[in-house]
Amino acid sequence: MTALDQTGKAAAPRFRLRPALLVPIAAVGFAALIGLGLIALIGVPVGDAIAAFIDGTVGSAYSIAASINRSIAFALVGFGFVLANRANLTNVGGEGQIAVGGIAATAVALDGHVSGLPLGLAFILPMLAGVVAGALWGAIAAIMKIKAGTNEVISTLLLSFIGVWLLYWCVQSPALLRKPMTSSATLPESLEIPEETKLPLLTGDYSFPLHIGLPIAIVIAVVIAVVLSKTILGLRLRAVGLNPVAANRAGISYARTVIFALAAAGGLGGLAGALMLLGEQYTLKDGFSSGYGFDGLVAGLLARGSVTGVIAAALLFGFMRSGGINMEMVAEVPTALVVVIQGLIVITLAGAALFIERWERK
Amino acid sequence: MTWELFAVFLGSSIRLATPLLLAGIGEMVSERAGVLNMSIEGMMLTSAFASAVGAWATGDPLIGLLIGIIAVQPVALLQAVLSNTLRANQIVSGIGINILVLGATTLAYREIFGARSRAEIPGLGKIKPPLLGDIPVLGPAVFEQVWLLYLGIALIVLTALVLRYTSIGLAIHAAGAEPKAVDKSGLSVTRIRYGCVLFAGFMASLAGAFLSIGDIHTFTEGMTRGAGYLAIASVIFGKWRVGGTVLACLLFGAATALQFQLPALGVDVPNALLIMLPYLLALLAVGGLVGRQMAPATLGEPFRR
Repeated sequence: MTALDQTGKAAAPRFRLRPALLVPIAAVGFAALIGLGLIALIGVPVGDAIAAFIDGTVGSAYSIAASINRSIAFALVGFGFVLANRANLTNVGGEGQIAVGGIAATAVALDGHVSGLPLGLAFILPMLAGVVAGALWGAIAAIMKIKAGTNEVISTLLLSFIGVWLLYWCVQSPALLRKPMTSSATLPESLEIPEETKLPLLTGDYSFPLHIGLPIAIVIAVVIAVVLSKTILGLRLRAVGLNPVAANRAGISYARTVIFALAAAGGLGGLAGALMLLGEQYTLKDGFSSGYGFDGLVAGLLARGSVTGVIAAALLFGFMRSGGINMEMVAEVPTALVVVIQGLIVITLAGAALFIERWERK
Repeated sequence: MTWELFAVFLGSSIRLATPLLLAGIGEMVSERAGVLNMSIEGMMLTSAFASAVGAWATGDPLIGLLIGIIAVQPVALLQAVLSNTLRANQIVSGIGINILVLGATTLAYREIFGARSRAEIPGLGKIKPPLLGDIPVLGPAVFEQVWLLYLGIALIVLTALVLRYTSIGLAIHAAGAEPKAVDKSGLSVTRIRYGCVLFAGFMASLAGAFLSIGDIHTFTEGMTRGAGYLAIASVIFGKWRVGGTVLACLLFGAATALQFQLPALGVDVPNALLIMLPYLLALLAVGGLVGRQMAPATLGEPFRR
């Protein structure tokens, strides 16, 4: 163990190889190895699968941009998880928050008045609508926690299911967001949002579809990192997380902190949904949020409270998903393999938490 | 509503409540001892898959059921090790298991059956109990159910008796409420909690098997669709009591049955709202409709000597 510390120090004095960093890397490596084993077991040549995987992640400008866009959604949900977790709250409702964010963004974007607005308001308003919807969705869990002591894990989970079915309802019902039914073959989806409400692309080129969600996410990352480490607000979250009673004695409102934390986490989920819709998908479809909430949650879990950690994990999963999708199309390895790998990572890290803590204390 | 329709509604409420009942009672026992199993969902899915494959491969649903029960035990053991020995966060580890199982069963299903299979799988038989089953109109529609339900009812009654009248029941309750006292008395809290998680796994395996080979005689990817979480909500709704949990499960079952019943009555309610209804009810239930919650004192906290 000392040898490890020494090499870490020798290589980079400020960036010591800490267990909190080493263990997640080891967990990802372990899970990836099992993934490779499963590919071999399925009978697909491992080389072909890896080639397809790499092609899907960094094989073209398009796949890189698509992977990054995916990572942005994961990262936003992950940031929200880390923020709420600072107050010892576990937000597992990302899936539903993304769904309601996407619904609200679509509804506002399709409103006839919005597309004509100047100064970028045409896409800013739908985006904000997504944030507000997600924040309200998160706040429901907060209010239940304060009023009835309901564990937010179970409430955010149930709200997730409700959000996902709400999405289904919106795209099934012509009275809501379904596009006008011209025939019985009309798909259950919304109209495409107007051109003006789509997020501007950074390069203006659809072969490299990075949109302004990227700079927005970077700004949010910086803001959250600063809030958590340098502001009174961050201190309040931590105080409530460590000991709500003591925090209350010190004049920090438990109720307000919980509402802020869960609404902020929900708002970030809502923003993720809005960005996915306004930046990539353009039409609201059933299941558009599928899996995104859980990937973001896992990114947040992996990060162990660090914003940089969320970014690293979100990028990992963003590229992994893209690679996984390409693996399914080209090498016929089901994307479920990526889900298996993620599950293994979460379980390994959950099981290793005790060791990380003991090790760090030494 | 005619009597016939009412009988059908009652029967399908009970049928749809069955997996929740089985899983919910197991989860309740585990929570009484202080362990929250978010992995009930994953355990059910494991068994739904394993029993379907077992029944399909051997042609015998009974062997399928056995394989389902056996397949869940390693999953339950994993949860028990994580939440007791490794003292992991029970929520995180449970969700991790659910993700893993969803991925693994989907992957294995694709490999065995192919992507678009609608394989018909031999299922468990129904029985009609004497007397009750002979009631005109009500009898066949309400009481002719898969025998797993009747086994489940027997297990639930047995569980209630054990919890109430035996020293095992007392030890389980104490392990959740006063683990330190249990430890001082010479019993092992860890051992009690391991046992309860494995029992929850056993009940969840019956629930999962009911979903696939009991109810619809096929397996679909991710077919539990949150039933495990509903089971957990029913425990909270039922205030950690057998009777309350059973009632909560029946309520969720009835809410699910409305999906099929209301359209049949010509009531025009959006389908999505009906699908959402059990989750909505569960949310209202955990959100204070039942008053202040009375969770076991150390629920979710790993025990440390």
